[in-house]
Amino acid sequence: MKGTWFAAVRGYVWIKLIGGNPETFLNAATAQRIGLWNIAFSKDGELTFGISVPDFFRLRPLVRQCGSKARILAKRGVPFQLARLSRRKTFAAGMLVFVSLLFLLSTFVWQVRIGGDTAIPEEQILRAAREEGLFPFQWSLRLQDSSVLARRLTARLPDASWVGVEKKGTMIVITVVDSTKPDAKSAKGPQDLVAKMDAVVTRIIAENGKPQVERHDRVRSGQVLVSGWLGDADRRKAVVSKGKVMGLVWHEMRIVSPLVREQKTLTGASKERTYWVIGSRALQIAGYGGEEYAESRTGAALYPWRLGRWMLPLGILKEREMEVLTTRDSLTAAQAKEAGLRQARTELLSRCGTDARITSENILHEQSESGKVRLTVLYEVEQSIAVERPIIQTPSE
Amino acid sequence: MPRLSRKLRKWTAAFLDLPQDVALDLPRVTMIGGLQVTVENHRGVLHFSPKTLRLAMDRGEMEVTGENLVIRNIGAEEVFVEGEILGVTLHPKGKPSG
Repeated sequence: MKGTWFAAVRGYVWIKLIGGNPETFLNAATAQRIGLWNIAFSKDGELTFGISVPDFFRLRPLVRQCGSKARILAKRGVPFQLARLSRRKTFAAGMLVFVSLLFLLSTFVWQVRIGGDTAIPEEQILRAAREEGLFPFQWSLRLQDSSVLARRLTARLPDASWVGVEKKGTMIVITVVDSTKPDAKSAKGPQDLVAKMDAVVTRIIAENGKPQVERHDRVRSGQVLVSGWLGDADRRKAVVSKGKVMGLVWHEMRIVSPLVREQKTLTGASKERTYWVIGSRALQIAGYGGEEYAESRTGAALYPWRLGRWMLPLGILKEREMEVLTTRDSLTAAQAKEAGLRQARTELLSRCGTDARITSENILHEQSESGKVRLTVLYEVEQSIAVERPIIQTPSE
Repeated sequence: MPRLSRKLRKWTAAFLDLPQDVALDLPRVTMIGGLQVTVENHRGVLHFSPKTLRLAMDRGEMEVTGENLVIRNIGAEEVFVEGEILGVTLHPKGKPSG
């Protein structure tokens, strides 16, 4: 027996030998080099064995010589299956139709999917694909090569910098990469630049429009710095004035700085607790014991179980408690003052814009009382003071 | 095989350190636990029943005893037996078998 599958392909039969002398039969069969396998005695004392179909026909004279009879118990293997199939024409035809139908249907495009992170509307891409002959239930043999399709789709989609077409079985994936565009500028109406607050002008650059003030001029809040009106009284035109006006502005800051500084640090020690969550209830299953922390911070994460795309009301909640250590530093008055000033400076700069610069700092008043240092500080900041104000034109009579 | 020839073969095998089965055409028995026995170089089946299998050898007989013996495969040179094997007995020629 050269492997069961080989025998199954060629076909084999189980034989029962009735009567005669089994030993003579076996010796005769081996002498003729007839392959027998699984030779055993049945319960009735008759010899049973397996034999391949070609050998079975060579066996007949031997059986007759030994004076016994061979009875076929079972027929196995592909040739017999085929013979059985040929008797059932409709069944065979059904199998054939199924295979051919499967093959035929697999040559169609069943799905067109759009991948990539794109701002182009999906309908637009699908419409472009349809015009190139790429749509569901299209026969895929009629499709062009995917690189040609990709090139044509890129031509049809002006907002895309690259289009990839990938065929995955019966699914086509179109990947679109958007081209980056400069930000669209909103059209502006004519406008003036006016002062945001009282200041002394240090620098004025007018890109468009007519500057109304000069360096070292004192301006008040709302005063026009760069005018959008060009021309004389009767021949004039409103434009979009643009420019940069920097000025010195005074800010008075009141600072309260404590003399005792509290600092919380994580010690690194932590405990983890695990809960089973059912609905809105939680049952702790792990993380018992251990010393309690004097001070701690707790973070929790919920891992719900999912069934496909549904989230189940069951899950696991993991809670981590981290030990916190609070240290108190007492500061001298000078240190507290310095800390307060530092904080005031960052606060001021974040309030005054990115191009702001502190030019001077003047402590007006300083007082230390009930564990705090109170300061009143006058800052002089050079910052942008221009703000846009649209010109409302009344229609000429 | 004539006596002289057999002696010569035996001497050659001993002198050249050859395995005896190659030189002397003796059966080679491979047994795997009590489950399988392969006998190579046998000279035919003398008797086969679910309890015993007697094989002819060049000089004598070999008997495999056991329960539910099944000849898995048989060829001109080798037999492959499976079942609950209880014993393998050799009966050299001249002595009564059994």
